[in-house]
Amino acid sequence: MSYETILIHAGLAEKSRKNRWPARLDLLQSGTGLFLALFMWLHMFFVASILLGKDVFWTVARFFEGYFIFGKAYPGLVSCVVGFVLLALALHALMAVRKFPISYRQWRAIRAHAKMMRHADSTLWIWQVYTGFLMFFLASAHLYQMFFWPQDIDPYLSSDRMWSAGLWPFYLALLLAVELHGGIGLYRLAVKWGWPNASREALKKVKWALTGFFLVLGLLTLAAYIKIGYEHRAADAVGGRYTPAWALEKEGHTHRGDGQ
Amino acid sequence: MSENAAPQQYRHLRLNVLRYDPRNPASKPHMQEYRIEEADSMTLFIALTEIREHQDSTLQFDFVCRAGICGRCAMMVNGRPRLACRTLTRDLPDEITLAPLPFFELIADLSVRTGKWMRGMSERLQTWLHAQEREVDLCRIEERMDPDLAEQIYELDRCIECGCCVAACGTAQMRQDFVGAVGFGKIARFRLDPRDTRTDDDYYDLIGDDTGVFGCMSLLACHDVCPKSLPLQTQIAFLRRKMAAQGLG
Amino acid sequence: MKTVMTDVLVIGGGLAGLRVAIAARKRGHETVVLSLVPAKRSHSVAAQGGMQASLANVTKGIGDSEDVHFEDTVRGSDWGADQVVARMFVNTAPKAVRELAAWGMPWSRVRGGDHEVVINEQRVTLAERAEAHGLIAQRDFGGTKKWRTCYAADGTGHAMLYTTTNQAIRHGIEVHERAEVVALIHDGERCYGAVVRNLVSGELIAYLAKATAIATGGAGRLFRVTTNAVICDGSGHAIALETGVARLGNMEPVQFHPTGIFPAGILVTEGCRGDGGLLRDVNGDRFMPNYEPEKKELASRDVVSRRMEEHIRSGKGVSSRFGTHLWLDITLLGRRHIEHNLREVKEICQYFLGIDPAEKWIPVRPAQHYTMGGIRTDHTGQSPWLKGLFAAGEAACWDLHGFNRLGGNSVAETVVAGMIVGEFIADFCDKPENDAPFPLTLAREFVRREEAKLAAILDGDGHENPFQLCTEMQHIMTRHVGIFRKGDELLDGIAHLQRLLERSAHIGVSGKSRAANPELVAAYRVRRMLKLALIIAQGAYLRTESRGAHFREDFPRRNDREWLKRTLAFWPDEAAGMPSFEYEPLDVMKMELPPGWRGYGAKDYIDHPDTPRRQQEVDATRSRMEGQGRFAVQEALMPFSDQLPASLTGRNERLDEPLETSR
Repeated sequence: MSYETILIHAGLAEKSRKNRWPARLDLLQSGTGLFLALFMWLHMFFVASILLGKDVFWTVARFFEGYFIFGKAYPGLVSCVVGFVLLALALHALMAVRKFPISYRQWRAIRAHAKMMRHADSTLWIWQVYTGFLMFFLASAHLYQMFFWPQDIDPYLSSDRMWSAGLWPFYLALLLAVELHGGIGLYRLAVKWGWPNASREALKKVKWALTGFFLVLGLLTLAAYIKIGYEHRAADAVGGRYTPAWALEKEGHTHRGDGQ
Repeated sequence: MSENAAPQQYRHLRLNVLRYDPRNPASKPHMQEYRIEEADSMTLFIALTEIREHQDSTLQFDFVCRAGICGRCAMMVNGRPRLACRTLTRDLPDEITLAPLPFFELIADLSVRTGKWMRGMSERLQTWLHAQEREVDLCRIEERMDPDLAEQIYELDRCIECGCCVAACGTAQMRQDFVGAVGFGKIARFRLDPRDTRTDDDYYDLIGDDTGVFGCMSLLACHDVCPKSLPLQTQIAFLRRKMAAQGLG
Repeated sequence: MKTVMTDVLVIGGGLAGLRVAIAARKRGHETVVLSLVPAKRSHSVAAQGGMQASLANVTKGIGDSEDVHFEDTVRGSDWGADQVVARMFVNTAPKAVRELAAWGMPWSRVRGGDHEVVINEQRVTLAERAEAHGLIAQRDFGGTKKWRTCYAADGTGHAMLYTTTNQAIRHGIEVHERAEVVALIHDGERCYGAVVRNLVSGELIAYLAKATAIATGGAGRLFRVTTNAVICDGSGHAIALETGVARLGNMEPVQFHPTGIFPAGILVTEGCRGDGGLLRDVNGDRFMPNYEPEKKELASRDVVSRRMEEHIRSGKGVSSRFGTHLWLDITLLGRRHIEHNLREVKEICQYFLGIDPAEKWIPVRPAQHYTMGGIRTDHTGQSPWLKGLFAAGEAACWDLHGFNRLGGNSVAETVVAGMIVGEFIADFCDKPENDAPFPLTLAREFVRREEAKLAAILDGDGHENPFQLCTEMQHIMTRHVGIFRKGDELLDGIAHLQRLLERSAHIGVSGKSRAANPELVAAYRVRRMLKLALIIAQGAYLRTESRGAHFREDFPRRNDREWLKRTLAFWPDEAAGMPSFEYEPLDVMKMELPPGWRGYGAKDYIDHPDTPRRQQEVDATRSRMEGQGRFAVQEALMPFSDQLPASLTGRNERLDEPLETSR
């Protein structure tokens, strides 16, 4: 019996409450991961709306700024969402980094291990570490920008960032990292918690199908932005905003962003 | 059904064995090649024994039951942990690479000290039945148990503590204090046993942190290499849910 | 000299050793267990089928009791058993099963209601009693009148060993693994412990103890084809033998298990036949009913093994590249049964034969399985010739099994002997007169002697290869001292073995390491194994009769007149090339069950002159005491309760025998 236990029995100390934090932190890691992965899928659909035309994307962007509710755009609303995602990302990174190799010895051990074992699930985890590490910087940078300049979500401005600002390699890397990390992560969540209770083979098939779908969608979307950005530059209109024709007619001179 | 008596050309196997004796300062880790002619139903037990008896009497490895039940002979066979005694050479390519299990204390060559670690694991997780401290009257009829439940407990009790799961575990390679699938299997076994009076609250004290179930990164190599095909994936997921519930409660 | 001192030193970390250790520890004695391997890797783990205890829970076990178990055991032993020990055993076995249950053993349980089984090729529906639902189940095994074998699927030994080891861990019992005893420390009258070699560092350590218990299991590795693990080389027998005073009892009967898979010799459990599996020959015909109309496949192991070899000799074996074998057919049990109750069998077939036993027959042939003989002890487990030396389990001969052990009685014996001998060891340690001071000078002398032996092997100019000597010995034992024995062949084998023993004095090793060195280990072990082999072969040659597993083709009858006695072998002179023998007669006049026909096997035997007289007495007592209850009759015939530790004397409750009324 430990001295502490003796004291507790003798009534000289109180039984300390069990440390529930490991459980909570584990749930937090999984929870933020789930949220971020699902968010990324929705996000992908929103940005992919450019494939349906500039008007559709413009409408989606304005929708999130509350334009169709308040009749006026409040980009601050987007900042709020971005802020929340940034918080989730930070928490997720903080939780996940606990599982990362924290020394060169550990890094070597896991690498040698995966190489020798040639075990798919173990190798996937190494990819998760790579992509997670990458996203720690890329996603933060992206979110930072979206947080402070939410009003710049615009068919032309976004495309200019891709092409004229030369950020398309950045977004390409981010896309690959996000889709791999999210797909693997969701698969991992399923086997980690035992839900849905399907075989790993089946789960993996679904996982790769989803990853493939979102990668294709993402690449097409990226291409669309690059194309628009390229044309926008060719038209020597870089920095100009897009306003749908119907909005121009309706609003006359009013320009979005004037209120800022 | 008998083996056909037709003459057969036997393969020449090349066994590359990792040799190293940490107690000998002159010894450096290196691979040593042994050539051996394959025979019918040759297992790695038979092959290694033949090498030791006819080629190199200093080669160190461990076998006990040579029937796949004692868990002594786990080693890395072409990169994966397996029970050497029940690995037939006919299921392997001509070139076979053998290395000791990682993670465990190396004695020499293919010989590792799994038993010592397992005893430590048992002490740490208290892998014995915790019943109320009363003397059972052994003359009296035993307490009843549902036959299906008894079978389920036996299923989890089949673990032979060979160490394959720990050797295959990415987490364990990085963190020496990780409980490992073998430990989770034990907890799941006693948790299922109604004779054990411990509650999830007690189990949380044993595995409710990052050296325990929350440290598991679900790489599940343990599940894939378990020689007894124990349902480690579902059991660890189950424990994780139960232990996480403790964190919310 | 490094020295470890303790109250009780247990050599061997299998079921028997651990149970002894737990008993001693619970009584407050410091206990250390020495083991070649981690305790959970001991060969006990390989027992598959189960453990006999007359619980009488299943329908086919109704009417079972200590009395029936006792008679089965004595008949199985071919009247070689010590009947008092057999009584102590059958009375304790149910307690051992129940103790294990209380420790968490996952025994298979009775399911109330109808269930289908295969008996004698027929699908039969058995109705289990509702009141038995959830109690420990029993299955059928060879040589038993009732279904008595308690089991956990077909991993009984594994589950028992893990349950027991976990208890040992709970009690904080230290197990020093990779430790090999190379000599007992003694002065010719009293045993003080052992010289132990650390198999990793090579260091020799003196362990000193008030009581030393040997529980090292069997000596199967004396034979080429054996179900035994590679560590079962009889080292415990040998260190006792090398004291020059301790005796080994009944070493010549060696059990061959009918169903070792061919050719590897890996065991498939008797439960296969117990659950309805059949033996078939080259034509696919079932042959056992022709030889043994009553018990068929489920006669005792010695009988079934002999009948199988007999059948092979008559040309009905299946030829394969490796030799001849027979088939074990369990396909008729159905896939569900095999996958639930015979899982380990299925795995073994899958991994070692590449077949699915639910669809294909298993090639089998008898393989060495069990060493009936052992270190001769009294009923307390103590050697009468060396005070303070105890033995339990397969390594011991307190004489439960006589000349043939029943399936399911060996795992039962491990824990039962552990309980009983453990208590007696605790009693021994409790007595002040046994507080002999530890003889450090003597210990130093023994360590020095062993060091010199090792140095002679390492530094000498010997040229004999220990592995080769061992292989030669194994071939001789299998060929000359196997299931069928003949005088001239035995003599031939003995001469061979003697030559090998001489050659073993000139062993040389190529690797000179004093630390972990497998060749050095083989070198000192093979000499000991050769001594045991000689004891078995010479004992078999001297015993000119057939009894139990010892079968002489030139003397096929059991001969109670000449041979109702126990063989005692010892090796008083280290330099001698042969062991010495003496015999200990069994007293028919004290037997509860006088010798007769076993109920299977040969009916032809020569009676002991006392047998008719004793039979009359027994019959008279039985008729005189009719109606007084079985316990009173038993007590009158052969009292045994006073021989048991007081804590184990109680009667065993059964569904049909509630404790209140039977008291």
